[in-house]
Amino acid sequence: MTAARLRAAVLALAALTLALWVTDVVRQLQGGSAGAGLVFYAVAGVAAVAVALAVARQRGGERMALVIAVWLCVSALDDLAVDWPVSRSATTAWMLAHGLAPSAFAVMVLAYPSGRLRGRGERLLVALAVLAGLVWMGAPLLFFRPGGCATCAPRVSSWLYTGTTFDYLPVGQASWVAFIALGLVFVVLLVGRLRAAPPGARVTLLPLGLAVFFAAAEFIAQRVVWLGGWAGPVAALDWIDRANALLLPLAIFLGLAAIRRRRGPLGDLVVELGRAGPGQVQPALARSIGDSTLELALWIPDRGEFVDEAGMPIDTSAIPRGRVLTAIGPPGEPVAALIHDERLLGQRPLLEAAGSAARLALENTRLQAELRAQLAELRSSRARIVEAADAERRRVERDLHDGAQQRLLALGLALQLLRERNADPELLGQAEAELQTALRELRDLARGIHPTILTEQGLGPAVRSLADRAAIPITVEAGDERYPAAIETAAYFVVAEALNNVAKHAAARSAAVTIDRRNGRLRVEVSDDGCGGAVASAGGGLQGLADRVAAAGASLTLTSEPGAGTTLEVELPCGS
Amino acid sequence: MLIVDDHPSFRRLATRLLREAGFAVVGEAADGDGAVREAERLCPDVVLLDVVLPDRSGLAVARELALLRDAPRVVLISSRGRSDFGDSFAWPPGCSFLPKHELTAARLRDALQHG
Repeated sequence: MTAARLRAAVLALAALTLALWVTDVVRQLQGGSAGAGLVFYAVAGVAAVAVALAVARQRGGERMALVIAVWLCVSALDDLAVDWPVSRSATTAWMLAHGLAPSAFAVMVLAYPSGRLRGRGERLLVALAVLAGLVWMGAPLLFFRPGGCATCAPRVSSWLYTGTTFDYLPVGQASWVAFIALGLVFVVLLVGRLRAAPPGARVTLLPLGLAVFFAAAEFIAQRVVWLGGWAGPVAALDWIDRANALLLPLAIFLGLAAIRRRRGPLGDLVVELGRAGPGQVQPALARSIGDSTLELALWIPDRGEFVDEAGMPIDTSAIPRGRVLTAIGPPGEPVAALIHDERLLGQRPLLEAAGSAARLALENTRLQAELRAQLAELRSSRARIVEAADAERRRVERDLHDGAQQRLLALGLALQLLRERNADPELLGQAEAELQTALRELRDLARGIHPTILTEQGLGPAVRSLADRAAIPITVEAGDERYPAAIETAAYFVVAEALNNVAKHAAARSAAVTIDRRNGRLRVEVSDDGCGGAVASAGGGLQGLADRVAAAGASLTLTSEPGAGTTLEVELPCGS
Repeated sequence: MLIVDDHPSFRRLATRLLREAGFAVVGEAADGDGAVREAERLCPDVVLLDVVLPDRSGLAVARELALLRDAPRVVLISSRGRSDFGDSFAWPPGCSFLPKHELTAARLRDALQHG
């Protein structure tokens, strides 16, 4: 549930509780039972509801407030309907409320201060209390009939009355024994929690702890009195019972207030600054200092001037009357300054602390922005390096063709001319064979550096030509469409390196290359039916590939279960 | 025959080789524009045309030559091999291709007879 919904639920329950209490007081007044007890009862009830609402107003207190409101509502129902003259509905409601009141109480205490139960033990205790309560009040719910039990308060049966009755007093007594046992466990649990709490947390637990021991003592005393059948102390215990309705929520409020006090206004500011986005630091600061006109000025040492959150310079020589500048930081070396109402000067420590916190938050934001910018720059520089390397490869390939290879080709023609001139045919044959080998090696080298067909014809034909030269059959599924040069080059070298790996390591009988376009991304998949088990080790070819595709803004997926072949998949962004 | 290649030594040696093998080499050109000019002037039967020329692609030159009144047979030559161009390479119609490292008088005759 959101905080707003929780608050709405608290509000609804508070309204219901108040209505029940007012009805009860009015009814008791009509019954002629006005007196100090009733006044105290009415005041305590209203105050308790007010405390629950106050808890709900605190940030993070909504859930706790709901738990308090549930308990108050159940208690009010319990008090109101106990001797409602004739209503079967009221009797049914009272019996249920009376049975569940101890559980609601336990939940409220155990859930403090977060509003949630912690751990299986607490949940089990509450579940057992609910069970004991249902057994306890289940008997009168089902079997109570007026006149059947002299000591019972209601005058009508519940809506669940079965039409028969029996002496169910032992059932009630048995549940009381269970309640007392559960109560002891509850007390042990609370003592344990108090002892385990660090000193800092103990202060916040103490008010509720005291209130609970008070309430628990009263609760146990009441049951003992009831079990023993003594009438004397009942009235006194009723007073204490009513005081509890106020004491418990009040203790919770005080505990939560202690938590807030420990955090203080600066704590709130730090929490708020942690969540503050760009441009929200100054308003947060203004709220925490309590000066809506407050301005935050940051000192930029390189520029020797103050700027605001957006980086615009602030003219500190033109501060209007009634406003002053408080510098933050060591004397002569400001890190920031606050421009504020001069009446706040008495709170210099608060101003300094708040300014430092704000400075920290802004520094954080600035560093993050800087980091993001650096990362973006790193990415684009990596892409530029790869692009430059690719351009260099194309240049080297061209140079090989235009330079060395042309000279060797001319040499070939010269050798042919020599043959016509009856030179030594054996020697000539040897020279021509050497020359052809050199030319072939040169062509292979050039192709490895950057294949012409990729530039001229694109990815599909280049990959098909690559597949044609492979030692094993390779099926290629690829169209003839063109992509940006950087993408084509990256994709080509992915396939080339993958096929190279297939030939070297996979012991595959065949392989397949699929290149297609999906959702604006070029997908390249190379799979083989070899031995699998490939890993991208550092410095290896696969790692080099991963780096290359990462530079193109893509990622590489390698699936290579031992014995199940290898599939390499790369998705490259290819623009529109 | 007209020989078009931007490498002077290759051009000169090819001219000598083919002349000695009985081809009548009537002219040489070092770039695309020169090739078209010389072809118009000399009306050769055959043009030996490098695929990569400094001013424009040999393929474009081949297409232009095909439009001449007495269109010559064009044999495209390249320092790259056939597989570097791929199976789907769009060779201009009516052209043969001969890698430079396979260029001999005999291979040229083959290409002219069969291509």
